[in-house]
Amino acid sequence: MSSFAAPAHLLPLSTRRRNSSTNAVVSHISSSTSIIQCNLPSLAATSSSQNPKPSKSSPFLLNSIISPKSLAVSAASCILFHIAQPILSGSDSILNYSGGGGSSGSGGGGGGGNGGGEGGGFWRFFSPEAVAKDDDPQQEWDSHGLPANIVVQLNKLSGFKKYKVSEIMFFDRRRGSTVGTEDSFFEMVSLRPGGIYTKAQLQKELETLATCGMFEKVELETKTNPDGTINITIPFLESTWQSADRFRCINVGLMPQSKPIEMDPDMTEKERLEYYRSQEKDYRRRIERARPCLLPMSVQREILQMLREQGKVSARLLQRIRDRVQQWYQENGYACAQVVNFGNLNTKEVVCEVVEGDITQLLIQFQDKLGNVCEGNTQFPVIRRELPKQLRQGQVFNIEAGKQALRNINSLALFSNIEVNPRPDEKNEGGIIVEVKLKELEQKSAEVSSEWSIVPGRGGRPTLASIQPGGTVSFEHRNIKGLNRSLLGSVTTSNFLNPQDDLAFKLEYVHPYVDGVYNPRNRTFRASCFNSRKLSPVFTGGPGIEEVPPIWVDRAGVKANITENFTRQSKFTYGLVMEEITTRDESSHISANGQRVLPSGGVSADGPPTTLSGTGVDRMAFLQANITRDNTKFLNGAIVGERNVFQLDQGLGIGSKFPFFNRHQLTVTRFLQLKNVEEGAGKPPPPVLVLHGHYGGCVGDLPSYDAFTLGGPYSVRGYNMGELGAARNILELAAELRIPVRNTHAYVFAEHGNDLGSSKDVKGNPTEVYRRMGHGSSYGVGVKLGLVRAEYAVDQNSGTGAIFFRFGERF
Amino acid sequence: MAGQLVKEWAGIQQFPAATQEKLVDLLAKLKNQNVDKLTILVMGKGGVGKSSTINSIIGEPVVTVSAFQSETPRPVMVSRSRAGFTMNIIDTPGLVEGGYVNDQVLDSIKSFLGRFLMMKTIDVLLYVDRLDAYRVDDLDKQVVKAITDSFGKEIWHKAMVVLTHAQLSPPDALTYEEFFSKRSESLLKCVRQGARISKKDVQNFAIPVALVENSGRCNKNEHDEKILPTGTPWIPNVVHAITNIALNGKGGILFDKKLIEGPNANDRGKLFIPLILAFQYFFVIRPIQKQIRYDVARETKPSWA
Repeated sequence: MSSFAAPAHLLPLSTRRRNSSTNAVVSHISSSTSIIQCNLPSLAATSSSQNPKPSKSSPFLLNSIISPKSLAVSAASCILFHIAQPILSGSDSILNYSGGGGSSGSGGGGGGGNGGGEGGGFWRFFSPEAVAKDDDPQQEWDSHGLPANIVVQLNKLSGFKKYKVSEIMFFDRRRGSTVGTEDSFFEMVSLRPGGIYTKAQLQKELETLATCGMFEKVELETKTNPDGTINITIPFLESTWQSADRFRCINVGLMPQSKPIEMDPDMTEKERLEYYRSQEKDYRRRIERARPCLLPMSVQREILQMLREQGKVSARLLQRIRDRVQQWYQENGYACAQVVNFGNLNTKEVVCEVVEGDITQLLIQFQDKLGNVCEGNTQFPVIRRELPKQLRQGQVFNIEAGKQALRNINSLALFSNIEVNPRPDEKNEGGIIVEVKLKELEQKSAEVSSEWSIVPGRGGRPTLASIQPGGTVSFEHRNIKGLNRSLLGSVTTSNFLNPQDDLAFKLEYVHPYVDGVYNPRNRTFRASCFNSRKLSPVFTGGPGIEEVPPIWVDRAGVKANITENFTRQSKFTYGLVMEEITTRDESSHISANGQRVLPSGGVSADGPPTTLSGTGVDRMAFLQANITRDNTKFLNGAIVGERNVFQLDQGLGIGSKFPFFNRHQLTVTRFLQLKNVEEGAGKPPPPVLVLHGHYGGCVGDLPSYDAFTLGGPYSVRGYNMGELGAARNILELAAELRIPVRNTHAYVFAEHGNDLGSSKDVKGNPTEVYRRMGHGSSYGVGVKLGLVRAEYAVDQNSGTGAIFFRFGERF
Repeated sequence: MAGQLVKEWAGIQQFPAATQEKLVDLLAKLKNQNVDKLTILVMGKGGVGKSSTINSIIGEPVVTVSAFQSETPRPVMVSRSRAGFTMNIIDTPGLVEGGYVNDQVLDSIKSFLGRFLMMKTIDVLLYVDRLDAYRVDDLDKQVVKAITDSFGKEIWHKAMVVLTHAQLSPPDALTYEEFFSKRSESLLKCVRQGARISKKDVQNFAIPVALVENSGRCNKNEHDEKILPTGTPWIPNVVHAITNIALNGKGGILFDKKLIEGPNANDRGKLFIPLILAFQYFFVIRPIQKQIRYDVARETKPSWA
């Protein structure tokens, strides 16, 4: 009396990472592509015998009114829907879903409704297209060859003719009226007006209807039309049961399906009673053993309301209940959940049996390049700690958890292809095995990229001697010991023949899971050797001065720190930095003082000192700590939330002139949502007010290269880098109002930067020497065009405005 | 030079008897107050007659002067003594070059003072400008500001404005006195602004103004003294003003390392760094950590989690 089909849809979630070419310069921008696939092969239905008609006398009934196929299909369509939402945050994701792929031949848009033979008791809610496809619509049809307007019984029709159906009607005998075309009954017949069918097909159709369990009685009548076509009327008597006032939803996953015992028609009354009683008892036990399901009270109440309004429980009502329950599961990502049965009918309670999709096993597999299962290098706990709890054994499979797992594993950057794949557990009916299939990236990679730069020689003409070979040599050894430790190094120069001119190198060792891979605390140790060369914004002229000879600040040193990640965005980093700072002039000579242009046009080299030691070379060791609290999130594409960053450099008194200092910066940014908006794809983002404050200060020894500079796209817009000054203490305040415009936003902003009178506290007072104001404000308007900000900013010191194009965000 | 034997003030002999007499009186007055040494710093824009004024006061051509170019590339100290009284006058190059205050000159003055006057005091500052300039502009203010920044506001307690080229015919419709008072007032105003002397403090900073005429064609009175158009002999007048300032009760500007290099901001607050660090740990890092924990707790979990 009941039927069950294992939920056998596969939802592989996969991501593929292109073998990211690690360039020393842009190595952090790994190009990754994620693909989510969704394949939905039709399931092999296991069905048991069923009673074609609900027996009225039965006090309860396990009614096989739900076709697992159609359930699978509706579930599948839900999966498609979910995946189609661009939820994958992070890098460019391609969502690729291939629906259907049915193996049972019904094919087509995931409509697997070939319930014919063995699954005769199934409704075919979505099968018409499939059937229509089965019998190739023919061009020709035969006239019925009978007088018009007579009612013909189905078995009176000729078995050799192809009848054209011009109209189909359902006639409710109980109500004595025809049923509208929008009724769910119409979903159950594959016949369509205008279709051409043989008698056999019509008979099969009737058989299907009769066995689906929705009707107590159903017939098929045809009426001849004068034009040779026929009208079909389906008079029916809908199955109904006692009215119910309770609703219960239970999770029957992993429970053996109740198999009805064949009832001997020759049973005596007593035996029959005994039989029903035992069945009732069995069922009660079953309900007790079943786990409570996830369906929230609100939906249950909603269904109860439906039950109350209806009065008698009808097949159509159950259908609606089933749709509602499944809708909730699908909307919440429980892609494997299905309503498999309604039980306890004809009592006061309707019991909805749901197979929610319990995970019976979590399988992590490695695949080689050919897709064969192989031994992986990565240790399992590394992967396991990235999987959400909801994917563990005993939990209900949720597609969102699967996607989360995909994202998390992808962020490890260890795999070229990731698939998270639920499949039915053959040994455990109703169970789901979650397969995580991973293709590992090569552990070691090395790369050489070269470029030739032709530099102008004498007279500006490129000569052979001036053609310099340059480029980058890099290597990476990742996933050492399978614990995601990595060592990477790169060397870049623009001239391999003379690499001492400009050699940029970096050697970094990353050691995650400092506290052990099983410890939930996520701390990563990093040690690196680095150098960098930057133009010092301290030695920049104010608006009156055109050319200030630039000073390059070269830093080379070692750094070791520990980063603790609290959330995806909030983290705490602390460590030790030891570095040598060399200041050089344009021609790469070490310069101990900044240069200044004399009014006469000459250059004098007695500007502000560039280093603490006064020699042009400083060495120092200091502790560095940075704590970032960031709870910003995207709300329909607009950032809202807050971000606080505190950065501290604490000198240790080790180094040239025993530098002892405390240099600190506090940045506070608030993204205030100005309007409540509904969250969801395609909904407009809210207008956002951004308030930003940045305080920087230093107590103790302050070499000019560590002074805080004012002005620039990340300080006070509308000015050049350092155009406003270099000071010991600074305060920057900014406000920006972002108004969404179509897909992007426009903004107005006002900013102010102030040295708090501390410019003179920087040795040599570079702010004054280069005739800078020490403070300044700006305001302007702008629009975001993709990654580029185009803005018009007016600087208030000179009162002039200019248009700027900048990459990235200011805040 | 400090170690050198200080020359006898011979130039005083050349002055007319009346001037000599007055000067000796003033020196005696200084000695009476137990002042046996005066250090005078002369500063001002280029070409206003700083060096000439010094030559006039000393009475001999101690500093070379030329009409058209700066002959004072670096500071020069002239020391003369008479009857146990020593007068040091420091001539400096013009502070303005090419329309800007030349920090380099200022630095050279400072380093010069650092070399010869370490731990000694500057008793008088002569801020020299021309009387016959009609206008004061921003540049004057900048010069004053540069001096203030280098030596501190206090130096204006010991300062005197000296206006050279005093022998002039004022423009029409102005008497000499009127012109002088207008010119000196506007210059003083500029000094006060440049030195950031607030209106309340004006009383405190009484900066005298003296006139000087270094030209050889300077009018003389019956005692052969060089006189101003007003009739007062100017050398005794200037020296008188100098002695007044020297004796005005305010302490001289002690020239020490701090003054040369300015206050060393790098050393300021160094002692408090451990305290600051502790503060940052307990009142910045800890609260932020707490906020993060709060965020984690409050994070809206997806419905399936």
